[in-house]
Amino acid sequence: MGVGTQRLDFTDFYRESRDDCLRAVLVSVGNRDTAQELVDEAFARACSRWRTVSRHPAPMAWVVRTALNANISRWRRRRREVSVPDPGTVADLPAVYGASDSPVDPRIMAALLRLPPRQRQVVAMRLFLDLDTARTAHMLGIAPSSVKSHLARAIAALRDDLTRTRQQESSP
Amino acid sequence: MNDEELITAVRESFSGVHSATPVEQIVGRSRGLRVRRQVPRLISALAVAAGAAAAVAALLPASHQVNSGGPARLAAWTVQRDPGGTIKVTIRELRDAAGLQARLRADGVPANVVFLHHSFTPTTSTSAIPRSCRAPHISDKTNARLQDRIMPFPGPAALGPNSVVLVINPSAIPARIGLFIEAFAASPGTTTGDVFSLQTNLVQASLPCTGS
Repeated sequence: MGVGTQRLDFTDFYRESRDDCLRAVLVSVGNRDTAQELVDEAFARACSRWRTVSRHPAPMAWVVRTALNANISRWRRRRREVSVPDPGTVADLPAVYGASDSPVDPRIMAALLRLPPRQRQVVAMRLFLDLDTARTAHMLGIAPSSVKSHLARAIAALRDDLTRTRQQESSP
Repeated sequence: MNDEELITAVRESFSGVHSATPVEQIVGRSRGLRVRRQVPRLISALAVAAGAAAAVAALLPASHQVNSGGPARLAAWTVQRDPGGTIKVTIRELRDAAGLQARLRADGVPANVVFLHHSFTPTTSTSAIPRSCRAPHISDKTNARLQDRIMPFPGPAALGPNSVVLVINPSAIPARIGLFIEAFAASPGTTTGDVFSLQTNLVQASLPCTGS
């Protein structure tokens, strides 16, 4: 494979997958600017080793996992107890995830951010990358049964959260 | 709202999120990563030529003297002090943690250094620090602020494909406080373990923990 062909392949991959990867990382980290920076860095790493990454069974998942690993290091270095602020305790919700101009429904974003980190990661992999249970389990290093459990709990929590929010909005 | 409707609503709520970074910018950024990765690949080549892992240690000493100039040659890790007194630690291989700990202590940084040769999920639990160490009696917020002063985030250069960089400001370390530095192999999507991550914490400086 020549260099020109590699570059073309990466360019196609990037253009087709960058939005999904950004959405998946945004769900996990909760901040648009941070997500963009992490995804850009992860894609740069993918590009620098494209010959290897292109043979990965799920290159998009590789990018997202790389971005999330980089994020773990970012926040862990400061020993913060949580990776994102608790939206329930923050008055200015858009400021939490840099969403002053975000097209994301703030109610859904807030509900996602209230999920435990692992559940958000499973949601990201399953809903935004369309990975199956086995591949998600492999990427996150957990059992397939745990993936199913996390996803079921996440969906239940999201439903409860959104239902409660709508009821509060509709009540006088 | 059933599951399908909920999933659809979540997906559609993100449909307006788009990455605006041009591919040219990503490719340009990757070139810098490639350059930084040349060295470890060269090291691997030397290892093969030598024919034995032991020879690698002889060719590439783990430690490196602190000085005001650039590193004379690359090693498992290097410690450099800039003219302003800031110390830059670059870890390329998870080898000789004790040597790095001694090197840092000699340069006024009481530290406990651990290298893990497997990937793991970092935790915020105080149990993550070694048993020989004790956490300082400070709040999490104070801990975070102090770490910010002692170890300012070096930006995107903090994580390379084959190295991790930690910047330390020794003058910001209070008396009787030490650093716990743990480097480990993170393997995003692969089993090669060639991406390093780092976690740090503060500990009480003591003989059993930091050696002084």
